Amino acid sequence: MGDKRFMKGNEAIAEAAVRGGCRFFAGYPITPQNEIPEYLSWRLPEVGGAFVQGESEVASINMVYGAAAMGTRALTSSSGPGISLKAEGISYLAAAALPAVIVNISRGGPGLGSIQPAQSDYLQATKALGHGGFHAMVLAPNSAQEAADLVYDAWEYAERDRNPVLVLMDGCLGNIMEEVELPPMKELHDEDLPEWSLTRRNGRDWQGNITPIYTELILEGLNAMAGEMYKAWEEDDVKVEEFMLDDAEYVVVAYGIASRVSKEAILKLREEGVKIGMIRPITLFPFPKKSIRNLDFTKVKGIFDIEMTVPAQMREDIELQVMDRCPIYEYGRSGGCLLDDDGVYDAIAEIVKGEDA
Amino acid sequence: MKQSFVFSGSGGQGIMSAGITLAQTAIDMGKHATYLPEYGPEQRGGSAKCTVVISDDTIVSPLPKMCDHLIVMNEQAYAKFIDDLKPEGLLLANEARIKDEIERDDVFCIKANVDDIAQQLGNEKAANVVLIGILIGATDVVSREVFAKSLEEKFKDKKPGILEMNLAALEKGIAIGKAHKDERKA
Amino acid sequence: MAEYKRSQLLADSPSGYCPGCLHGLATKLIAEVIDELGQADNSLNVISVGCSALNILYWGGDFLSVAHGRAPAAATGIKRVNPERLVFAYQGDGDLAAIGLAEIMSAANRGENFTVIFANNQTYGMTGGQMAPTTLIGQKTTTTVYGRDPATTGYPLKMCELISTLEAPRFVARYALNSPKGVSDARKGIKKAFQMQLDGKGFTFIELLTNCPTNWKMTPLQTFDYMNSNTIPYFKPGVYKDTEANG
Repeated sequence: MGDKRFMKGNEAIAEAAVRGGCRFFAGYPITPQNEIPEYLSWRLPEVGGAFVQGESEVASINMVYGAAAMGTRALTSSSGPGISLKAEGISYLAAAALPAVIVNISRGGPGLGSIQPAQSDYLQATKALGHGGFHAMVLAPNSAQEAADLVYDAWEYAERDRNPVLVLMDGCLGNIMEEVELPPMKELHDEDLPEWSLTRRNGRDWQGNITPIYTELILEGLNAMAGEMYKAWEEDDVKVEEFMLDDAEYVVVAYGIASRVSKEAILKLREEGVKIGMIRPITLFPFPKKSIRNLDFTKVKGIFDIEMTVPAQMREDIELQVMDRCPIYEYGRSGGCLLDDDGVYDAIAEIVKGEDA
Repeated sequence: MKQSFVFSGSGGQGIMSAGITLAQTAIDMGKHATYLPEYGPEQRGGSAKCTVVISDDTIVSPLPKMCDHLIVMNEQAYAKFIDDLKPEGLLLANEARIKDEIERDDVFCIKANVDDIAQQLGNEKAANVVLIGILIGATDVVSREVFAKSLEEKFKDKKPGILEMNLAALEKGIAIGKAHKDERKA
Repeated sequence: MAEYKRSQLLADSPSGYCPGCLHGLATKLIAEVIDELGQADNSLNVISVGCSALNILYWGGDFLSVAHGRAPAAATGIKRVNPERLVFAYQGDGDLAAIGLAEIMSAANRGENFTVIFANNQTYGMTGGQMAPTTLIGQKTTTTVYGRDPATTGYPLKMCELISTLEAPRFVARYALNSPKGVSDARKGIKKAFQMQLDGKGFTFIELLTNCPTNWKMTPLQTFDYMNSNTIPYFKPGVYKDTEANG
């Protein structure tokens, strides 16, 4: 019997985090992610974990840094403006090779933007989550269920790589209520704590230390290793949904909420005889390059980049794989205005039917 | 079969809880449902809107542009969302707060003074239950039995009489909805 | 007679602190107190940014090196998930009283059960002697070449005084390391703070008045005289809060 609940995406993330072994959370209030700290403020103590409402996002990410150094599965969540403040700490996590999970429930930007949902942080998430040229794996669920599933296993990647993992989901999916089948509670034991953790000095004959500071040659070496790690992700860890591509003459590339609205349009266009499919990146970094690069461009007449942000932010990543083999169209809404089924359908139909006519 | 509902009004009118209740009841019936709240920045008294999609199959997009059923609780909500109702769709308007003539003639309309009905039953908070009752009577989207059971669950530990009042509100609503449906058939 | 030996918490390497700098003495004091308490294996040093960051080379015990000003936040994360460890942060004045002011005040206000040791030498040593939040009025630095002017830079921040106004902190004290008595008092104060932490009492704060011969452009002995006639009259040593005192 599964544990099925009708719950918000944000709550699904919080509960799945606990079940995935998270025992520490620090964060600062910001809409539209408040259900995550609110839920964890009572839920974590139930399982022997700790919750701290930090004085700022800056402090919160550094609390996560401290807890992560002890081998504890630690989480923080925020939205765009707060993720900018966390950028310092995320960079230090990467430098000190500490695993942690950061959730961005994104809203309209730039600046304070709007509290309404938007997919406005793709570039921040995938290109420069902080200074110094590091990357975090970026997971982009498109439902409350997938959010739970991805968060549940996020620490497995973070600990394997000793690197932070970012979950990027817009405020629409954060606040939507859907059915979620929750995974079982992972049993974690003290002996499973990573051997580098600073938890127990007793019985260890080596000095335990973790630092984000290195001498030049060591830092260069670590940076080169990080580069190799990113390449390995591309081989091993890309997650992508390919939908109705076999005979596709048009291909939508969309992630998160935009992928669901796009799929609705695609199903309607298919009924009307249009050969159209979709590539949905689930990992935004590593980006599913091959899915796009290996399309049969003798058949594909156009790519649609559909995002709930303007201008489209994923476009350059798509362009690098399309290599001018077909036109790329973009459609989006921004500033907190939501995508809707008809809007996406009309934008695609205008091109597709216009060309065929 | 996929049906979409937009509930709209101002904060504090119970818009959100009506939407959640409807979605939850659909889930309890083994259907699929999504519920999406949209708030203004205000904690109290601002605009409130939620979108509920109910379907026998997995719900692809939770963001329909046009809805099958529009429930409006005040003038502002009516003005803002009336164009988002599909032709042949159902408009459910709170008569207590919407005095204007309904301008669209391509939709079905139920005007009901849910505020008064609830007040007469003893508690204006029951207005939501009247609303859901009307939807049950007019559309068959969720079943009376399942919703009544959820009310029993919700109010079982409350003061005596509360459950009965809510069940009465439900029946009042269903009667209004049914009357509309019969009128449509005729 | 007690045997005097080098603490295992001090790495077997020469100190790179400038000649006459009191950071080395402060580090040694902390190490010796931890040894006396039998906590060498259980201690965790949260190393901040500034000259204090050099401790990653000199500290032989467990440590976590953290971002500038964020040591009290990182220590919060550590202590909340590992309450049994003896956790302390060693922070300089720029780190604690400027960029990390929010973190120190908030951690103190939450009553986090760890100890912060604050080395106040009134300058940014590592970056070359710029004005610190604790730089004295009239004191010349590379960013106040005519001396600190309160009209544009405000006044030196008195952290012990500030923190002792909060409800949660349990022990708040300031010591000057330019005299044998000051060193002896500081040792006792650090020990008391650590013991209170081990007893689960809550937040403890020790300020150590130190020097910077290099950036003050003085000989070590001149810095001691300067501290007596300038620093100590403004930053008065003493116990500012002690919830254990007088029952």
